[in-house]
Amino acid sequence: MEDRSIQIQLGIGAIAASVFLIAVAIPFWVSSPSNVPNVILSPLFWPNVLAALTGLIGAGLIVTSIARPRPEKPDASDVDDRPAAFTRLAIMAVIMIASVLVMPRLGLVWTAMLTFAATAFLVKTKHPRSALVCAVVIPLVLYVFFAHIAGVAVPQGDFVRLP
Amino acid sequence: MSFIDSLLAGLQLVSNVEAFLALALGVAIGVIGGAIPGMSATMAVALTLPFTFSMTPITGILLLLGVYKGGIFGGSIPAILIKTPGTPASSATVLDGYPMAEKGQAGKALGMALWASCTADLISNLALIFFAGFLASFALSFGPPEFFTLILFSLTIIAGVSGDSLLRGGLSAMLGLLLATIGLDLVYGTNRFTFENPNMMGGLNFIAVLIGLFAIPEILSMVWNPASQDGVARSLGRNKVTFQEYRRSFKSIVRGSFIGVFLGSIPGIGAAPSAFLSYSEARRKSPNKEDFGNGEIEGVAASEAGNNGVAGATLIPLLALGVPGDVITAIIMGAFMIHGLQPGPMMFVLNVDIIYGLFIGLIVSSIFLFFLGSVAIRGFKYVADIPRGVLFPAVLILCIYGVFAVNNNIFDVGVMFAMGGVGFVMMRYKVPAAPFLIAFILGPLLEDNFRQSMLMSGSSGWVLFRGPITWFFWTLTAITVFAIVRAGIRATRHQATGTSQP
Repeated sequence: MEDRSIQIQLGIGAIAASVFLIAVAIPFWVSSPSNVPNVILSPLFWPNVLAALTGLIGAGLIVTSIARPRPEKPDASDVDDRPAAFTRLAIMAVIMIASVLVMPRLGLVWTAMLTFAATAFLVKTKHPRSALVCAVVIPLVLYVFFAHIAGVAVPQGDFVRLP
Repeated sequence: MSFIDSLLAGLQLVSNVEAFLALALGVAIGVIGGAIPGMSATMAVALTLPFTFSMTPITGILLLLGVYKGGIFGGSIPAILIKTPGTPASSATVLDGYPMAEKGQAGKALGMALWASCTADLISNLALIFFAGFLASFALSFGPPEFFTLILFSLTIIAGVSGDSLLRGGLSAMLGLLLATIGLDLVYGTNRFTFENPNMMGGLNFIAVLIGLFAIPEILSMVWNPASQDGVARSLGRNKVTFQEYRRSFKSIVRGSFIGVFLGSIPGIGAAPSAFLSYSEARRKSPNKEDFGNGEIEGVAASEAGNNGVAGATLIPLLALGVPGDVITAIIMGAFMIHGLQPGPMMFVLNVDIIYGLFIGLIVSSIFLFFLGSVAIRGFKYVADIPRGVLFPAVLILCIYGVFAVNNNIFDVGVMFAMGGVGFVMMRYKVPAAPFLIAFILGPLLEDNFRQSMLMSGSSGWVLFRGPITWFFWTLTAITVFAIVRAGIRATRHQATGTSQP
């Protein structure tokens, strides 16, 4: 993506975030006691100042992007197949969300093994056997360290429990 | 407590096998982490942090400092052998290191990198020992208005110099400050963006945000483009650096070390600018200036001295003022907090044994770096051969375990993944992550000092200009903003007219 376009998108995003914060997020999700003696000491003051500054920076980004020259040729993409790259990212997002959701049921160790294997195969590792061995060994080694040396209560899940 | 008493207290604290083993292990982890292309010293320190929870504060912090020191040197190994800097700070080392490797003098270049790194590291550590205590005693007289202006100055310079533009750095810092407002209000205890979720009442977990911002985006980048970026490693050759060559480069090494110390002690500048400045000064002063860029050993010495000279000096603002000098020291500041310590001037009063223990450990780390660095140079081939398709899933699993272990909370793992997404978008949009993280850490301090100042003065803003210290920091902030804006305007004009920058 060219620099000018990035700058404009960032500027629009920052202004949108600022408006959302001031109009919706802060009034609804920040509570303030009614007896605050001065507005500067209110819990609302600091988030409002930061939101306003974010909007100002967004405006600055748009203004400065106008001064930038348009490139004669668009930048080459860093990947050959963008749809495939987005698909991989979407699958990775599913792996991450799934790992958080299944962790209480499966336990940390088994979830970690599945996450390792899924990620390695998603990036089409050239060493599938090593990846599978590591997918089993690394979570177990980390379990031994955190559960038995550091004393962390590693979630065991409902199915197979480790010593 | 006298200097000797403090030194003895520090010596007593670190004179055990555990502390020195942790330091040596840290240096080894750092060198390996820095040497793996795609990882970095920052990621290595972040991933090591969860392993320190079960250690005593001094052992845990020494481990992290070892990783920091090792990581900065480790970055020079792939820079010289495969033209891929392991850390951004090693970019200047590529300029002469790789041409030397092409000539079959990789062993010589790496040897010089190690000698220069250890010398600069030692000078930087001595600067820390001499200046941190002095600065801390001065900072003891700081009140909330002084701290507010100091933190504001630090954030301005960090936002200004860590990215392509002040505005993008500023946006990153604002997002960090906004994220830091999540949790209970500091004065009234009311909810701010907590959505009635008890997990969010204490604010977002620092480690989850940190690892999410610095490790997960690298994994997502690998998923985005899994094509291998590995270069071809050059052989070390039979040449070794001689004492004669070290002596010839000594002036450049010392100059680079002092440049590193000076720039490192200013929050936010970091090691990369220091390495380039040291390199350009060495070229300017050298009788062989035409050889620079074509494999001049003095160029390798200067750039490595520049980036390693920063490593001890970035701890000066951290230990003396409680303000992190760069991202890695921000992580180390988090480690202090996790172990119940608050870096800053009061630490020189309350925990002087830990301070002097760290000083002793840092001096010893230069010696460990020398020996472990020599081994790492020979073992690089094995490190470079780790397949990325196995390495990055392993890093992901380390992240999950590490973040979970902080509070035994799965919610933190979710926060880490969410922050990973944010970090990846920031990376794609060229928004620097360093101001975000440092603002996230300093945000509560900034707000707290601001509100305390207002409470002190009955809400009068004049308290923020109450004396010479606040004037000093306001002036520095104004000069920084002016200089960065002027540089930005000049760069934009040059781009618009199609001329290159002088």
